[in-house]
Amino acid sequence: MDELEILKKDWKKNENAFDQVTEKEIYGMLHKRSSSIVKWILIISVLEFLFLRLLDLSIFLDDEYSNRMKEHHIYDFEKFVTIFNFVVLLVFIYYFYRNLKAINSSSSVKKLMQDIINTRKIVKYYVWYNLVLVGITSAIVIYSQFMYDKNINHLYDKYQLFFILGGFFFVIIILLLFWLFYRLLYGILLRRLQKNYNELQKIDF
Amino acid sequence: MKSESEALFVKQLKENQNIIHKICRLYTTDADAHKDLFQEITIQLWKAFPNFRGDSKFTTWAYRVGLNTAITLYRKKKRTIDTIEFDSTFHKVTQDDYNFEEEEKLKLLYSAISELNDIEKALVFLYLEDKDYTEISETLGISEVNARVKMNRVKGKLKKILNP
Repeated sequence: MDELEILKKDWKKNENAFDQVTEKEIYGMLHKRSSSIVKWILIISVLEFLFLRLLDLSIFLDDEYSNRMKEHHIYDFEKFVTIFNFVVLLVFIYYFYRNLKAINSSSSVKKLMQDIINTRKIVKYYVWYNLVLVGITSAIVIYSQFMYDKNINHLYDKYQLFFILGGFFFVIIILLLFWLFYRLLYGILLRRLQKNYNELQKIDF
Repeated sequence: MKSESEALFVKQLKENQNIIHKICRLYTTDADAHKDLFQEITIQLWKAFPNFRGDSKFTTWAYRVGLNTAITLYRKKKRTIDTIEFDSTFHKVTQDDYNFEEEEKLKLLYSAISELNDIEKALVFLYLEDKDYTEISETLGISEVNARVKMNRVKGKLKKILNP
C-alpha cells in the first residue's frame, strides 16, 4: 500500500477529532491586538527610561553642575532621588513586561479584559508617580535656588511673596508640560486599549 | 463595535475551523504550538478578510491564507525547533481499531512529515485533503508541473524513510 494512502486513511479518520473552538474564543483571538498596544507601552517606557535616566546621570558627571548642587545643598537629595527613581522605574518596567506576558497568554475573553484593566491601572500609576516626583523635585530645586543662589537670595529676601508665587507657577508649568508629554505618549495607547476593552465587553455576552 | 462583517467572519471560521486545525496538525507537534498557530492563522485570515470578495469559496481561501501563514511562521521559527516529538495525545485512536503494525508505520510517517520542508508539508496536506494538482498549484502559487515533480519527490522521501 502506498505510504500516502495509509496516511490519508488515518487523516480522514481523525478529521473531526479536533477540540472545537467556540465563536466567543474566535472573537477573543481577533481582539488580541491589545497585546501589541501593551508591547508599545513597554517599548516606550524602556526608551523613556534609557533617555531620561541617562540625562539624570549626566548631571552628576558634570563637575560644574555637581558643585552648584552642593552649593545649593541639594546634592544628596538629588542623588537619593535619582537612585530611588531608578529602582521604582525598573519595577514599573517589570510590571509592564508582566502585563504583556499575561495578555499574550490569556485564553479567555474575561481574563483578557482583566489584564487590560490591570495594564491601564499600572500605566496610570506610572504617570502619576512621574508627575508627583517631577512636582516635588522641581519645587525643591527652585526653592534651594532662591535660598542659596548668590545672585538671587538677596532679591528673594526683599520680594519673598513675588518669588514664591513665581516659583509656584513655574512648577505648575513644568507639571503641565510633563502631563502633556505623558498624555501624548501613553494617552493614545490607553485610549486604544479602552476601545478594545469596550469591544470585548460586547462579545462577553 | 461588533460589526456585521466580523460576525460573518466568525461564523464562517467556526464552521470551517477543521481546515485550520488540520494545517496546525501538520505544522506543529504539540498542543500549545497548535493553539498558537491556530490563533495566528485566525488573525491573518481576519486581516485578509476585507480582500476576500467571495468569488472563491471561503474554504479555498482559508486553505491559501492558512498555509501561507503556516509557511511563513514556520520559516521564521524553523531554526528554533530542533527536537520533534510525536505527541500521542494528538493522535486519537480508539482501542478496537488499534493495529500495532500500522500504528508504528503511521508514527514513522508523521515524524517523517515533520522533517519535510514547509512547501513539501503543504503539498502533503493538500494531497491528504484530496485536492487535485490544479488546485494544489493554485493554492501554493506554483506551476502544475512543479507541483507534480515536488509531490513525487515527497513520495520518494517517505518511501525511503519507511523502507530503509
